[in-house]
Amino acid sequence: MAPLIDARNLVLAYGATRAVDDLSLSCDAGSITAIVGPNGSGKSTLLRGLAGIMKPESGFVRVNGVDLATLTPLARARMLAFVPQRPDLSAPFTAREVVRLGRFSRKPDESRVDAALTAVGLLPRGDHAFDTLSGGERQRVALARAFAQSDDGGALLLDEPFSAIDPKEVARIIEALRRRAQGSAQSNPASGSSISCAPCAIVLSLHDPGLARAFATHAVLMREGRVLVAGPVARALTTATLSETYGHEMIEQPNWLAPRLT
Amino acid sequence: MIRVGNAREKTTGFALLFGLLLLAACVRVCLGPIAIDNQLALTFALPTESIAALRATSLLSAACVGAALGLSGLALQVLLRNPLASPFVLGVSSGAGFGVALVLALAYACALPAMTFGGEVGGAIVGALAALGLVAWFGRGRSGTHDTTTLVLCGVVLGSIFSAGTMLLEQVVPHGLRGDLLSWMSGRLPEVPDRFNLTVLALCTLSGVILLSARAAALDVSCLSDDEAQSSGVNLRTLRATLFLVGGVLAAVAVAYAGPIGFIGLIAPHFARRLVGASHRTLVIGSAIAGALLLVSADVIRQIIDVGTGRLPVGVLTALAGGPVFLWLLRSKRWLR
Repeated sequence: MAPLIDARNLVLAYGATRAVDDLSLSCDAGSITAIVGPNGSGKSTLLRGLAGIMKPESGFVRVNGVDLATLTPLARARMLAFVPQRPDLSAPFTAREVVRLGRFSRKPDESRVDAALTAVGLLPRGDHAFDTLSGGERQRVALARAFAQSDDGGALLLDEPFSAIDPKEVARIIEALRRRAQGSAQSNPASGSSISCAPCAIVLSLHDPGLARAFATHAVLMREGRVLVAGPVARALTTATLSETYGHEMIEQPNWLAPRLT
Repeated sequence: MIRVGNAREKTTGFALLFGLLLLAACVRVCLGPIAIDNQLALTFALPTESIAALRATSLLSAACVGAALGLSGLALQVLLRNPLASPFVLGVSSGAGFGVALVLALAYACALPAMTFGGEVGGAIVGALAALGLVAWFGRGRSGTHDTTTLVLCGVVLGSIFSAGTMLLEQVVPHGLRGDLLSWMSGRLPEVPDRFNLTVLALCTLSGVILLSARAAALDVSCLSDDEAQSSGVNLRTLRATLFLVGGVLAAVAVAYAGPIGFIGLIAPHFARRLVGASHRTLVIGSAIAGALLLVSADVIRQIIDVGTGRLPVGVLTALAGGPVFLWLLRSKRWLR
C-alpha cells in the first residue's frame, strides 16, 4: 500500500539558504511521526513544505498518491491540516468561532466542532474570546481547529504543539492524537453521540525526545536540513542517535518527571 | 470587549443600525434651510415634494459615500491585518486626491475640455492604488506583517507627500478651479448631486458589498495567521488582490465624488463589529450601513451648525469627531500589536 505522505528529494529554501536539503520521508495512515532535532535544523520548514504552504525548489510531496503541487488550496485543505508554533488571530472571535474556521473546506458541522473542543479540553471555554485565553489555551484551540478540519483521513501537521501546554493537557491531547491517528470514534459529550474518523497520519515536531519516545510510532532526526536517522521510534531514538543529532551527549535519565499517558 | 455571538444579538445589532440610519435619514430630509423674509432659517418640517426630492438625493449621496468609505476601511483592515488601517489614515485618500488634482491640472495644461467624472475617478483610482501599494510595501515588517506604528507612520508620511503634491498642483490651475479644488479637498458632499456620478458611486459600492460578501467565509479564515489560513484552504493571493482593489477603488470613487472625508473608514468597521459581530458574513453589510449612518449623521449635524450657507464641509466634522476616536483606538492596546 502506498504511504499516505510521500516526500521525495525535497529541497526547501529561503532565498539562497537551503533549510531542508534533499529530504525524503514517508508516513502511513495510523502513524505518529515525531520530527526531532536542534533549533534551526529545518523541522518547521519541513512541516510547512509538507503542508504545501512552502513550495519546494525541487522534489515533491504526494498525499494519497496525489502531488500537492497539482491541488487547489481547498483540495489540499481537505487532505492536510497544519498548526503553526504560534497561532495568531486578528479578529475578536471566540474559541468556538476559531475552531469553526477549520470547516472552511468542508460542510459546516457543529458536532465536529464540539468534538474537537472536547478533545483539547476546551468545550466549557468555547464561548470565551480567543484573545483572553492563555498561550497554552490558544495552542489547544489551534489544535482543535485542525481536528475539526481533518475528519476523513489525510494528515495532521503540528509544529511544536506542546510548547506552551501544561502536562495534564499534554496527556489529554496525546490521547486525542492517538485516537485520531487510529481513526477511533471521537466522543461528543455535548450531543452524547460519537463521531467516526478515518485513520490519518500525524507528523509533529518536538523538542523533547523523551516525549517523542513516549507516544510517537516513528521518529525522524534532523540536522542542518537533512535526515540523520528515520524509522520506528525504538530504533531511531537512542542515546547514540540523539547525541549525534544534537552534538551533545544524551543519557537515559530515570528521574525525569513526565505526565502519565493512558 | 466585543461579544456579539448568537443570531439574536446580531439581529438586534442590525435592527439598531437600520433604525438609526432611518432616523438620521428622516431628520436629514425634514431638516433644512428655508428662505423666510429673504433670510435663511433652519426648519424641521415635512418638505414640499421638490425639496424632498432634492434632499433625498443629497441623503443618498451621503449614504453612498459613507458606505463606500466603511467598506474600504474594512477591506484595508483585513488586508493589512491592522485595526487602525483606513483610507484616510494610510494616505490612500490623499493619494486619490492627488490623482484627481493631477488629472485636472493635466486637462488644464493640455487645454482639454472640462474634465468628466470618469476622468476624475480614473485619476483617483490610480492615485489611491499607488498610495496603497506604497504604504503596504514600506510598512511591511521583516516577518511580512504590518506593525501598527510603522504602518501609521508610513501613512502619515505618504499622505503628507501626496497632500503637498496636490497643493503644488493647485498653484498651476486657474483661480476658479483652484477654489473648487480647495473646497473639494476639505471633504464636501455636493449640494446638488449629479445623478450620473451618484449612480457610478452607488454601483461601485454595491459591487464592493457583493464582492466582499461572496468572500465572507474566506475573510474570516484570513484573520488567522497566514500559514493557518493557507492550510485551511484560502487562496490568500487572490483574496488579497480582491481586498486591495475593493479597498483602493471604493476609497478612490468616494474621494473623486466628495473629496477626502476622514475617519469614516476607520470607525465604521469598529462600530459595526460591536453591533453585528466580527464574522464577515454580517460585518461587510454592517460596515457599509455603519459608514452610511455615520456620514448621514455628520451631514445632519453640519446642517444644524451651518444654517443654510453650505460652507461648512462635512469632512471638518468627521475629522473633529473621528480624530479623538482614532486616539482612543490607539490607546486601546488590546487590538494593537
